[in-house]
Amino acid sequence: MPEGKLLHSVRVNKDKCIGCGKCMRACPTKAIRVRPQKASINYERCIDCGECLRGCPNDAIEPIITSSADINKFKYQVAIPSPVIYSQFGPQTMPNEILSALKEIGFDYVYDEALICEMQSMVIEEYLDKNKSPRPIISSTCPVVARLIQRLFPCLCELIIPIEPPREIAAKILRKEISEEQNIPEEEIGIIEITPCAAKMVSINQPETMEKSHLDGAIPIKDIYNKVMMILKKEKQTLMLQEQGPISGIGIGWAISGGEIRGLKYHQSASVSGVYDTIKILEEVESGKLKDIEYLECLSCPDGCIGGPLTVESRFIAKSNIIKLSRIYGNKKRVDSNRVKRLYKEDFFSFESEVKPKPFKPLDKDRSQAIKKMNLKQELFEKLPKRDCGICGAPDCATFAEDVAQGKAKLEDCIFIKK
Amino acid sequence: MKGQIDKITDSEVLFEQEFKINGGDFINAGESSSKLKNILKEIGINTDIIRRLAIAAYEAEVNVVTYARHGIMRILIYPEKILLTIEDEGPGIGDIDQAMQPGYSTATEEIREMGFGAGMGLPNMKKNADIFNISSIVDKGTKLEITMNLNDKNA
Repeated sequence: MPEGKLLHSVRVNKDKCIGCGKCMRACPTKAIRVRPQKASINYERCIDCGECLRGCPNDAIEPIITSSADINKFKYQVAIPSPVIYSQFGPQTMPNEILSALKEIGFDYVYDEALICEMQSMVIEEYLDKNKSPRPIISSTCPVVARLIQRLFPCLCELIIPIEPPREIAAKILRKEISEEQNIPEEEIGIIEITPCAAKMVSINQPETMEKSHLDGAIPIKDIYNKVMMILKKEKQTLMLQEQGPISGIGIGWAISGGEIRGLKYHQSASVSGVYDTIKILEEVESGKLKDIEYLECLSCPDGCIGGPLTVESRFIAKSNIIKLSRIYGNKKRVDSNRVKRLYKEDFFSFESEVKPKPFKPLDKDRSQAIKKMNLKQELFEKLPKRDCGICGAPDCATFAEDVAQGKAKLEDCIFIKK
Repeated sequence: MKGQIDKITDSEVLFEQEFKINGGDFINAGESSSKLKNILKEIGINTDIIRRLAIAAYEAEVNVVTYARHGIMRILIYPEKILLTIEDEGPGIGDIDQAMQPGYSTATEEIREMGFGAGMGLPNMKKNADIFNISSIVDKGTKLEITMNLNDKNA
């Protein structure tokens, strides 16, 4: 793991930033300002959604990820590729070939995360059957959604399903299995997720629901893309002959929005993707509007994990590839349901601790001061042009009014206000 | 007027805002309670109070949309409490005791098909409020008062 604690998943490269403000406008939590000339992120408000990364035309927003040097310190290196990887190399490339290519790159062991996703579908069903807690139960898969709930919708924390996501379960199972089978001490095994997701490093370094993550790091799909592509082009014949273990068709579907709920036959469920739509739906949950929905899958990236910022293939093509693969592999169960039920009873999948509310700071610690600032903010807002031009360095007029009320900006920074 | 409302309070109003609600506008039902919620979050009101008030406000808003011509939702924040009032011009409620029964509803089949009018609105509001007052005049309108206490222990 990298030294020191990483606070967040992205940073601004000030040399590349031209101050255009696209990241600032894209940010759903208004965490970015362009003041005076370059973008800066208020990490206090960042939820690691990666919208700024997506929005930046100059690659000035950089993801913070495990480097290969961090992995090399482990004797035995294991890759758990997100099922998204199967969508990245064209419709003719089969999962098994991709897993083999990853081994060629130098991993000692590769494992199909989709198998654990399939397992997870059973666990969710089991949880919904056995638990009569308030609805809707919200998926725990997306680390951004979990953070979004902690910060923006703190009173919904109790609705998050207290079950670890597939990547953690996969690492937990593999570390034990490999250590026992190959007689390697657990701490010498490095388990890395190959990921489409910018928020993974944060969730690995600062897990919210356990002491320490089962994973040792994450590598962007982008970073291994060229190497894998090269091997696929050159050694296709030999790759096809290698067998890397079973592939789950049910689990592959988890790469796209709706994958988690496809298996829920007896429970009314819904899937939402994209951070803005997720915020909208969570607003509705908060108003008590969605009591008829039993399970709610929310994924912060558009169309689900295939829309992650660390992918290469267009998400529309990636989606088409996943749908094709799901069809080829079908709905055949690869996971032993008795084993899942047994592990479920042992609390193997459960959170060690619950997700704690971490609401954004109010306008002031002191309530009467906060109310004064709220009144001031509304008063200031009325004076502003409401064009949300962003020239002042804040994303919109309402946020600018708040900055002024907080003493972080001057009213004259607005070019529409006459000095 | 049935169920006369007590004189509220003499203490200082720290914050006040009004939201208009249009009868029959199901598309925007929930907007006012959503705005209200965001204000309370920024002021730093305890999350449990926000949750309960948001649910009550939403139910009240939907009631105005469903039954009344129009209404006004008003939030008043005092040092020791939050007062939410919802006043509408509409048919009013003839028998308040009956309306407070869970499951009782006068909603038409059409409205029920839209997912509203399950007869849980008023009981739900009462359940979530610290103090709940209702008064109504038939053919004139209804007034609801929802109070949340902000004593320092849980606010």
